[in-house]
Amino acid sequence: MSSIISIAKRKGAFQQSIDAGFESGSEDEDVNMSDSIDNGPTHTQESNSTEGHIVTPGELVTDDPVWMRGHGTYFLDNMTYSSVAGTVSRVNRLLSVVPLRSRYTPETGDHVVGRIAEVGNKRWRVDIGGKQHAVLMLGSVNLPGGILRRKSESDELQMRSFLKEGDLLNAEVQSLFQDGSASLHTRSLKYGKLRNGQFCQVPCSLIVRSKNHTHNLPGNVTVVLGVNGYIWLRKTSKMDMARDAPSGISAPGPSNGAPIGAKTLRSSDSVSITRLEEESSWQIYSDENDPTISVSLRQTISRYANVIKALAFCEIDITHERIVSAYEASMVYPSVGSLIDREVMETIGQDVLTAEKMRGTPS
Amino acid sequence: MAKDIEFSTSENKFILDALRQNLRLDGRSFDQFRDVDIKFGKEYGDVTVTMGKTKIHCRISCQIAQPYEDRPFEGLFLISTETSPMAGPQFENGNSTGEDEVLCVRIIEKAVRRSGALDVEGLCIVAGSKCWAIRADVHFLDCDGGLLDASCIAVMTALLHFKKPDITVLGDRVTVHPTDEREPVPLGILHIPICVTFSFFNPQDTEENIKGDSNAEIAIIDANLKEELLRDGTLTVTLNKNREVVQVSKAGGLPMDALSLMENCYKAYTITEKLTDQILACVKEDDSKRNQYAGLLSSENARDAT
Amino acid sequence: MSRFEIYSPEGLRVDGRRWNELRRFDCSINTHSHAADGSSYLEQGNNKIITLVKGPKEPSLRSQMDPTKALLKVSVNITKFSKTERSKTSHKNERRVLEIQTALTRTFNKNVMLHIYPRTLIDIEIHVLQQDGGLVGTLINGITLALIDAGIAMFDYISGVSVGLYDTTPLLEVNSLEENVMSSVTLGVVGKTEKLSLLLVEDKIPLDRLESVLAIGIAGAHRVRELMDSELRKRAEKRVANSTN
Repeated sequence: MSSIISIAKRKGAFQQSIDAGFESGSEDEDVNMSDSIDNGPTHTQESNSTEGHIVTPGELVTDDPVWMRGHGTYFLDNMTYSSVAGTVSRVNRLLSVVPLRSRYTPETGDHVVGRIAEVGNKRWRVDIGGKQHAVLMLGSVNLPGGILRRKSESDELQMRSFLKEGDLLNAEVQSLFQDGSASLHTRSLKYGKLRNGQFCQVPCSLIVRSKNHTHNLPGNVTVVLGVNGYIWLRKTSKMDMARDAPSGISAPGPSNGAPIGAKTLRSSDSVSITRLEEESSWQIYSDENDPTISVSLRQTISRYANVIKALAFCEIDITHERIVSAYEASMVYPSVGSLIDREVMETIGQDVLTAEKMRGTPS
Repeated sequence: MAKDIEFSTSENKFILDALRQNLRLDGRSFDQFRDVDIKFGKEYGDVTVTMGKTKIHCRISCQIAQPYEDRPFEGLFLISTETSPMAGPQFENGNSTGEDEVLCVRIIEKAVRRSGALDVEGLCIVAGSKCWAIRADVHFLDCDGGLLDASCIAVMTALLHFKKPDITVLGDRVTVHPTDEREPVPLGILHIPICVTFSFFNPQDTEENIKGDSNAEIAIIDANLKEELLRDGTLTVTLNKNREVVQVSKAGGLPMDALSLMENCYKAYTITEKLTDQILACVKEDDSKRNQYAGLLSSENARDAT
Repeated sequence: MSRFEIYSPEGLRVDGRRWNELRRFDCSINTHSHAADGSSYLEQGNNKIITLVKGPKEPSLRSQMDPTKALLKVSVNITKFSKTERSKTSHKNERRVLEIQTALTRTFNKNVMLHIYPRTLIDIEIHVLQQDGGLVGTLINGITLALIDAGIAMFDYISGVSVGLYDTTPLLEVNSLEENVMSSVTLGVVGKTEKLSLLLVEDKIPLDRLESVLAIGIAGAHRVRELMDSELRKRAEKRVANSTN
């Protein structure tokens, strides 16, 4: 540590201009202004912050009054300042600063994974990793016995037999309340209680919102990438295959995600889904795992969990393609447990990035 | 403090609006300290200080104790503060872990004890084994803001007023003379710290306060209870007459310009001067009242001194 | 006291610094990403602290819920081994620690935009691993870094620094040796302004010297802000480079 951090004392009153103090250091023979990071934050003054420019709290983002001020900013007169450390984002006239890391902020339509925190009066409170718990109303879930069933008082009394504290579920954000907390619903067969797999959490900023958040991965594993950073890895079920096949977004490469039955399902997909719905009696709230999960499948699931952690460790955005690519890169390490070593995680992250560059930007 | 006291929104707004127009609810100007009334009890070191509706009682007592091992030449000095619901519903009985109570106690402690206002070396009787232990008990009788300022005045006046019994030391034998036998001796006071509390209000937005350079924040001296509940920040300056800053505490709250904080310190100094003179005058007056026959008995006193 | 020369005639202090030199300042953020939403590790001279920010989160008690703004809670844990001599007590309920906690809470109450996180709790936990004078200033810097790491909106940086006064010379950033023999001032400065959020003077200082002490303190705090800022930018650039286009 050779760098000496020294301060030039400003002369006279406090009211002198603030910046002048440091630059005019040579006036005092006691002062030596040697430091390695002198011109670090000086580009504040340029303020022609472009898209993706990094700002820190209190920094002037723009003095142009045309902008509407969004999240992560505050203003005085014409000046807009940043209130978080992050990147500037401009959408039409809306100027906001996206923080590098923060808790999940729900938005309508988000596919999230959550955990029941509390069973209340006609509602569940769900921890979705946000600032506040989300609400799941009894009226916004599918109950056993058909979709068009009326909610009765007996349902209210046996809410714990559907979902109890600690249960994991995936759901969609239905609407937002005034204070920013979310109301969820699970009124589709792709939502509901989670089983047959493992939970894994990453910072929510690493999950990019996209059309589809449930992906079938090679190795008979399905991943649910909650926008809130909660991830569920499970054995691919019949329904997962049924969902994936007709949508046309098959897994990359000759994966076994869409196996032999895909063609037949494609022809009768609508029928099969309605049939499944009818079958969804109490089973959708069952706590029993599939008894047929093999040891090798369990290992595959934990391998996926570890590569996701490795990606998160390297602060790389997590997408379907990158999980598959990282999974392939991890195959050189036969032991799943070795994937949590620091060097291995870094190597995997590096491999993913280089593989992407060679292939050209996927986006 | 005052978790339980809540004002209506309209009253809040009224007080703040008035402040914006340079008016205070009780008609004082911004840097006007309330009149301080000091009353002495029958005994030495029994003082009641009244400032507006705020009322503080302080009683000094002493006993002989053993000094700390690492400081054999120093006496003991303890300040104990007692809050009770008597002062107001916001105080809990026997619970002094509330934020404001802790700050208040700490500041009195720093201002009076740690600054060496009391000459503790003069309390030593026999080095390492006997010394005087002086105890100041502060009771908050009524609270209308400015507890800290009033407590500090009360403690300092009481210390100045207090007299401990005279003693004679013969080898290891210590004789304590009752006060009716020999004239008791006053304590050694090295300086008189005076606390002045400023309350800050922000008339504009927080943004203006942080980024603007208008420095339009309002600072008032010696807030009463309502103003204390509404304030955005506070600053307590403790000074003595020798132009020494004994203690300054601005524990967070509204950010204030350094220059205006300095101005506040200078304002506090004029108040300190005034209050110091008042305290000394009060103590002197009481002393002469008690000693109105001193002239007649002067010969006896003279013999004592030898 | 006499064994050390606090300020030599050549203008050097006990640890070889000059009057206007800060101590070594090493900080990193996101050090405990699994345990907290924001975290920082800060070494300011021999002060070493870990700060964890948890939240904004659902408060565990209903009484901690304010429908208009978030509640900020600061707890300071001064470890028993933080000084050269192991202390017998955990400093948990000492008045001094309670005072520091209150001061820190009030400092950040005004600076964090609590009104945009209604009904939530922001829990700040500090662990002091080693202390060597000017602790409150270091705590402020640690909290600022951890809050920014947690992505919590705040108006500006708050940077803390301590200044001692030796005879007539202000000494920037006192260590514990210096702190014991002279009076010191702790400042919490808001961003690049000259506004003080926190100002603590613990011992006697001549009134007319206070101004020069504050001036050097403010300059020092601005420098600390720059050091924190450059570390944050370094982190941010790395993160931005990795994210998808």
